[in-house]
Amino acid sequence: MGEYRNAGLDAVFGAAADSTRRAILTRLAASDARVTEIAAGFPISLNSVSKHIRMLERAGLVRREIVGRDHYLSLNARPLAEAADWITEYRRFWTGKLAALEDFVTQKHPTTGKRKKR
Amino acid sequence: MNTVPTVTVRREIAAPAAVLFDAWLDAASLTVWMLPGDTQRTGIKLDPRVGGAFEFVMHTPKGSIPHTGTYREITRPRRLVFTWNSPYAGQTDSLVTVEFRALRGGTEIVLTHEGLPSAEMAAAHNGGWSDIVALLAATQEKARAAG
Repeated sequence: MGEYRNAGLDAVFGAAADSTRRAILTRLAASDARVTEIAAGFPISLNSVSKHIRMLERAGLVRREIVGRDHYLSLNARPLAEAADWITEYRRFWTGKLAALEDFVTQKHPTTGKRKKR
Repeated sequence: MNTVPTVTVRREIAAPAAVLFDAWLDAASLTVWMLPGDTQRTGIKLDPRVGGAFEFVMHTPKGSIPHTGTYREITRPRRLVFTWNSPYAGQTDSLVTVEFRALRGGTEIVLTHEGLPSAEMAAAHNGGWSDIVALLAATQEKARAAG
């Protein structure tokens, strides 16, 4: 399996589980934004949006910079890449395992191997 | 719509389903084929019954990696379901389902591995993991355009 660290993988997957949070990430993928600008785009309270943003911050997906009264948010895509690696790594892992299983079984049972027709 | 990341791998193998199925639950067989790329030796311990546990320790040049889990369903020779824990799969269980479909002259194996990072997450089926992968692709495009 790969080398990537995934201490925060649960948090990243958790962030991906909610449509509002995905929408916030999509908004931030377009450009950095103030918290109030993000909140204006959703039909829910500023307080609710803030909770979603905090969860994204905990997952390391969103960074916050405070300038005076304004809180600027930006997207950090790296944890997403690590989470996507989960799929890549396991596809490779299980593909390798099934190939090894085929080798093992067809060597052990050579007669069944010859019966296959295409 | 998948909330959790899922990997599906298929392979058609010219062997009877029962032979393939048994290779998953036999320690001597697993020692031979359950070897990831740079693994030198795999230590296999298993209790092949529903609720029974297994431990595959993959000894690599960089250290030993334990993979553990519990058998959830054992329906010989059609379906095998077990949880899967490894240092590379997050800290909680993921779930592997292996289905064996008889074909003329062989068997198709369909393996599905679902990430189940947490119970709350698995319960929160509000959208798609695929959206996040698409979002990631978009941010990489943007980074390339900017760079």
